Amino acid sequence: MGEQIAFGLAAAGAIGCGVLVITLSNAFRAAVALIGTLLSVAVIFLLEAAPFVAFVQIIVYAGAIVTLFLFVLAYLGERVQGSPDRLARYQVFSWIVVIVLAAMGAIVLLSTKLPGIGDAPRPVDDIGSPQAIGDAFLKEHLLAFEVTSLVLLVAAVGAVLLAKRAVLAERGR
Amino acid sequence: MTGAAAAGVPLGMYLGLSGVLFMLGLLGVLIRRNPLLLLLAVELMLNASNVALVGFSRYWNDTSGQIFALIVMVVAAAEVVIGLGLVVSVFRQRAQLDVDQMSEMKG
Repeated sequence: MGEQIAFGLAAAGAIGCGVLVITLSNAFRAAVALIGTLLSVAVIFLLEAAPFVAFVQIIVYAGAIVTLFLFVLAYLGERVQGSPDRLARYQVFSWIVVIVLAAMGAIVLLSTKLPGIGDAPRPVDDIGSPQAIGDAFLKEHLLAFEVTSLVLLVAAVGAVLLAKRAVLAERGR
Repeated sequence: MTGAAAAGVPLGMYLGLSGVLFMLGLLGVLIRRNPLLLLLAVELMLNASNVALVGFSRYWNDTSGQIFALIVMVVAAAEVVIGLGLVVSVFRQRAQLDVDQMSEMKG
């Protein structure tokens, strides 16, 4: 029963903060609301027997990624507020797309024949500990692990190139 | 539901939460014009997919779903770095941040 209460609270927090993320017009506040969603999702991960993923979520997402966002927001300052929306009259199409997709997802979820989708979860083995994650990474998913390092390297090189180009452009003026 | 079934949260609930979060993120991507807020909404969608992946990982009693979620996080980090770099570099040339006005490729 406690698990269901925790799930309800975390789900409500995630959805509530998610609504704030997409409705707040102040980018700074939206980024802080995203932290609320990320922490709620970390609680969901704990309930899903994935403690390692939960703490990576807190450290990498809520820690590093949102901090990067806040840095850029502070750097750009007030100017991020943007112009009035000239395409506001087309927003109804966005709503239609989202509502139709949500209806399709709900139909699939309610009519699926996956056994035990509505039952209490079966007891699990040790699948979420750092040891299990490390085993799986280095024994079964070694290629994915190496590709991950390549992706990070490419991102770092790309960021450096972008910054260098921007600095050179400023010096030319 | 029986008494035993009330002890935990079924997979369907996790999938429902994941779907709601994904739809919120998609709506944010479609209606927001500020590229920074667009990136925030994309993060929301990636998190929604992670909830579903880890939920299935528990359902099948297999670690692979969690590995997938971790790799999604790495891709998200890389995407944010490049995305923010592009936003800053676009912003240095134009004084305004609006995805509708970024229609030229010229740097």
